[in-house]
Amino acid sequence: MNRSPRIEALLRGEKVDRVPLHGNSTGFTNRNCGHTIASAYNDPEKSFHSSLQTAEQYGWDLVPQVFAHTLLGGWDFGGEVKFPESEYQGALSISRFPATTEEEVWNLQLPDPKTAGGIPYAMEYAKLQVSHGLPAIFFPRSAFCMAANICGTQQFCKWMLKKPQLCEHLLRMSMEHTFNVLQYWVDTFGAENIVIYMSSPSESNQIISPKQFERFALPYHVEFHHRMREFPIHAFGLHICGEQNLNLPYLSTVDLCMHPCIISIGHEVEPETAAGYFPGDIIYGNINPAIIQTGTPQQVYDETRAILEKGKRIPTGFIFAPGCELPPMSPPFNVYQMTKAVNDYGWY
Amino acid sequence: MATTERTAEILQGLHDAVVDFEEDDTVALAHAAIDEGVDAYNAIMNGLARGMETVGDLYARQEYFVPELLLCADALYAALDILRPHLQIEAQAEPRKIILGVVEGDIHDIGKNLVKVMFDAAGWEVIDLVADVKIERFAEEQKRTGAQVVGISALMTTSMLAMPKIIKMVKDGDPNVRVLVGGAPINSDIAATYGADGYADNAGEAVAAAQIMVARA
Repeated sequence: MNRSPRIEALLRGEKVDRVPLHGNSTGFTNRNCGHTIASAYNDPEKSFHSSLQTAEQYGWDLVPQVFAHTLLGGWDFGGEVKFPESEYQGALSISRFPATTEEEVWNLQLPDPKTAGGIPYAMEYAKLQVSHGLPAIFFPRSAFCMAANICGTQQFCKWMLKKPQLCEHLLRMSMEHTFNVLQYWVDTFGAENIVIYMSSPSESNQIISPKQFERFALPYHVEFHHRMREFPIHAFGLHICGEQNLNLPYLSTVDLCMHPCIISIGHEVEPETAAGYFPGDIIYGNINPAIIQTGTPQQVYDETRAILEKGKRIPTGFIFAPGCELPPMSPPFNVYQMTKAVNDYGWY
Repeated sequence: MATTERTAEILQGLHDAVVDFEEDDTVALAHAAIDEGVDAYNAIMNGLARGMETVGDLYARQEYFVPELLLCADALYAALDILRPHLQIEAQAEPRKIILGVVEGDIHDIGKNLVKVMFDAAGWEVIDLVADVKIERFAEEQKRTGAQVVGISALMTTSMLAMPKIIKMVKDGDPNVRVLVGGAPINSDIAATYGADGYADNAGEAVAAAQIMVARA
């Protein structure tokens, strides 16, 4: 099965006939196929087939086909999670963080890379992908995001200024856990069959300053890509979520593990801006997810068209998608407007 | 009794300690204010609150971000806890009240917590419902407390869908109550569509937005 012909072509450095369309969806695809949002986090079988069916319905490319995050600091390191239940819960949440005091941070142990948190679910999903001829998804958060998720973002923010050594310890533990689990994926599937899609929402300038990004997040992006050179993976995507314009000058100095990779941006970053900082890579995004959920169909269509006009000018390629996860409660006809606009205006 | 010069020194010290997020200093100065007879209300409004205004300006200029705001808030609250019991009741008018909470299904509360600090510093009485608040509770608490403003926060696109229902419940209870909304997926257009009276893009703007709404009521 090759459900991503255009994205695969861009990854090979080839031109395409039309801008690819990616759904960037987990909760929506499950609801679309009659399941709960919780299935996106704890039912790999339902989630996988929902993804295939919804992609077929809307004409989406499938790579990167996302399930829940493979690794989640708050869950993997021994915290408690709550699966979405009520109509207003759109995602998994941490109900108890594993380490909120200094003592707990220093006493943290590296989790079992095969059994911690939601890793077993993610492995089951990845096996389904590979059995259907698709690459296995490995969906980590950045070291900064994982570390902040272990103690809670609010506590992490305070420690950055008052007790940075605690943050450094959490960052180191997060980095090592990431590579322990990645090795499990590589041992199971082979590096060439893995797509890594990393997200970094806690690094946004809505939370931290660019200087704080430079000190606490950047070194770990640098290290990640340095260490990734021993793993010849199929593709790499980085979802730099939220307002990250002030971070881009720093992030662009990272020697990424491969080119082209996919740089996924939120609606806060202009596609041309991202392309300027990552001239060798494919830009992905970036309609505001809130518009898809709350806007009129015409607004979604018009916004998609406007973004396509910008994205088509990027020489290394552009993938149209929501700027962050497609809201699970999006009206289906609004979601269709993206498909319609890409079919009307996405051709080169 | 502190001299005028000493009072000014303490007030400026409180301001600077909040801005520099020096919690030990705000605590020491709060005790000094009490010991030396500086009026607690004066110390809060012209020391701590003024410091928080400066912090808000630094945040608006992108010199301070969330980590700094959180620590400034800690420094402020450490002193506020010392000074509040010494407030002379007749020295202040009935404070305006605001209900704050993050909607049902959503636990992201950093933004709401920063908004709380701003309202506390500005002299409002804040009834903090925390996070994952059942939708009917906003109207219930407003009725119980007589709050003039209800502030609702949501970070998730799913949880923001609760806002119109909450706003309707609040308005059905008392159409004169003002509703302020905020959160990452919200903007002024969505706020208006939902029936809110005001929208704040960040914590620094929230108090001004609420004051405008109350003045219009």
